[in-house]
Amino acid sequence: METLLSKLPDKHVLFSASFVVRVALVAYGDHQDRTMEVKYTDIDYHVFTDAARFITQGESPYNRSTYRYTPLLAWILTPNIYLCMAFGKILFVFCDVLSGVLIYTILCLRGLHGKTATCVCSLWLLNPLPMGVSSRGNAESIMAALVLGMLLCMEAKRLVWAAVLYGLSVHMKIYPITYALPIALALRAPQEGSADAKSIRTWKKFVTFIGSFLNRELIVFGIVSGGVFSIFTLAFYYMYGWTFLHETYFYHLTRRDIRHNFSPYFYMLYLTADSRGSQWLGLAAFLPQLILLLVASWSFHQDLAFACFLNTAIFVSFNKVCTSQYFLWYLCLLPLIIPNLTLSVKQGLTLLLLWFAGQALWLAPAYFLEFEGYNTFVLIWLAGLLFLMVNCFVLIQIITHYRPKPPPQRPKAE
Amino acid sequence: MYFELFFVLICLSKCYCLDREDDQDQCALLIKWLHSSSVSLEVSKKGFHREVTTTVDVRPEALSSGASVLLLHRWPRGVFVDPYQLASLSDHSNWEILLDSAIDLELPAHKTSGFSTYMFPTTLLPNILKFKIPVHGRYHESSFAGETFTSVHFEPPELLLRTKKCTDLHRFESYPVVDAPCTVSNSSTCSWFKKSQQQEGSSIISMMLPVGDGSATKLVCSGTLLVTGICSVALSKYILKHRII
Repeated sequence: METLLSKLPDKHVLFSASFVVRVALVAYGDHQDRTMEVKYTDIDYHVFTDAARFITQGESPYNRSTYRYTPLLAWILTPNIYLCMAFGKILFVFCDVLSGVLIYTILCLRGLHGKTATCVCSLWLLNPLPMGVSSRGNAESIMAALVLGMLLCMEAKRLVWAAVLYGLSVHMKIYPITYALPIALALRAPQEGSADAKSIRTWKKFVTFIGSFLNRELIVFGIVSGGVFSIFTLAFYYMYGWTFLHETYFYHLTRRDIRHNFSPYFYMLYLTADSRGSQWLGLAAFLPQLILLLVASWSFHQDLAFACFLNTAIFVSFNKVCTSQYFLWYLCLLPLIIPNLTLSVKQGLTLLLLWFAGQALWLAPAYFLEFEGYNTFVLIWLAGLLFLMVNCFVLIQIITHYRPKPPPQRPKAE
Repeated sequence: MYFELFFVLICLSKCYCLDREDDQDQCALLIKWLHSSSVSLEVSKKGFHREVTTTVDVRPEALSSGASVLLLHRWPRGVFVDPYQLASLSDHSNWEILLDSAIDLELPAHKTSGFSTYMFPTTLLPNILKFKIPVHGRYHESSFAGETFTSVHFEPPELLLRTKKCTDLHRFESYPVVDAPCTVSNSSTCSWFKKSQQQEGSSIISMMLPVGDGSATKLVCSGTLLVTGICSVALSKYILKHRII
């Protein structure tokens, strides 16, 4: 391990090299788009650019069909029209590398040695998956940077900045709302253990529990993040009306995509799409996700990075719709918890291979359905259930082998 | 003087008659060209992403005389075209397409209706013309009758011809005339002669798309909820066992 660490480049070399490689991929992608039939650039990038073009013409970005994001993203990408089509990709690649820098900084704040932190953050910076995703023009790296920035500010006790970044991240995508409970639990007044806890009445415990949330830090965080979220929401509602609310938020909350995707619920939702019981089935599908989020938030709120990672992984795995882009939401948090895992390299690689195998077993029948026209619906359904089981197994292994950072020293009770 | 006036009047009326005769000749030519033309359709590739090739055989005199050609496709609700994909392809293709309505790219087939496209060829030589359009299959309602596939039927497009020299089409009552956009910019409507269809149903092309098995709904629902329930209980158990106190 020491020899491996000593061979690692200096962190500045790593950060620069990661950026250069990604920019090279963007340049290659431009070449492939112009010369080959199979395009490198993701379809989403064209959606963003078209929406930005509508904004430059003084119209609503929602004139672009399938644009289901905040108008802020289209506004940020207006230089795609005024300057250069590749501006957005360079921005996403920059946010990707910034995420790696944030991972390094958080790891150092959590007490990790500089060289080890460099090694761990290279798992993100030299990982082909985020490289490919950001250079193809997906905006997930912006979310990764916002969430990691929020965690860094929480670690450094910069609450106002953490709240600003959190409010912004929830505005851009809904899933960070799942971090609200662990953040609230982490910020409330510390609970003092009492020797005669059993003799305190339940209602008094309950009142004390509720009272612990009325805490200056938590109230400030709530007001700032709520304020940032409200300002953006109200401003864009004023500009674009109900369409903005529907496309950015309500569509994703009520989304019933019956087309094949990684979700274990896909086939069930397809077969029951128009039946009377579909609302109840939707609720039945939501309950495991909700209960797991509550249990995980409560159990691990003292280690915010781990709680956020677990909440995101649970949210994505048990969601009614799941595409491969969603994996990046929790993969960007994985480097933060890896130093605390007692898994050996062999065990870690086995879990990784198992995760890839689960995806491959789904992708095969999905390919035959979409591109060869075979009826593989049952195989896709079974592969979706298997992928859920693989995800749960991997998460259980991570939970079982996680050693949290030691809690801060508490003054002894008198 | 009256003689000169009479002479001018005779000349003018002769010009008018000649124009009308010219007009009638051009229209009759269009009808003759339409009679001798043919249009066929074939669907290639597999799965949900197909390619529809329309082959048009029109007399070379029709094209060299400056007649405009228009292909009116009436698409079934089981498929859709992606307007953004068509826009990016039209730069490298021999056609421009106008859609008659906005297209929802995500709706299942039974929640939408068919649509029409007006295809204006941009190159009219050689006289046998092939036009390729990518189409995508929509998801269909699951079948409760045990069928694993559903079929989507394509009718061949309507071939429309017009020329600026033929202005009064409606005089030819026996021949079908259709109002359609003059050009792809859709700024005005023109009258077009439509090739009369041969026997109905003789040239319909079908493609098959997989559908879900509705009879397995109860099994799928109970199996899904059972597995997700077991996974969530197992995960909760380990979370609570290793919680940070």
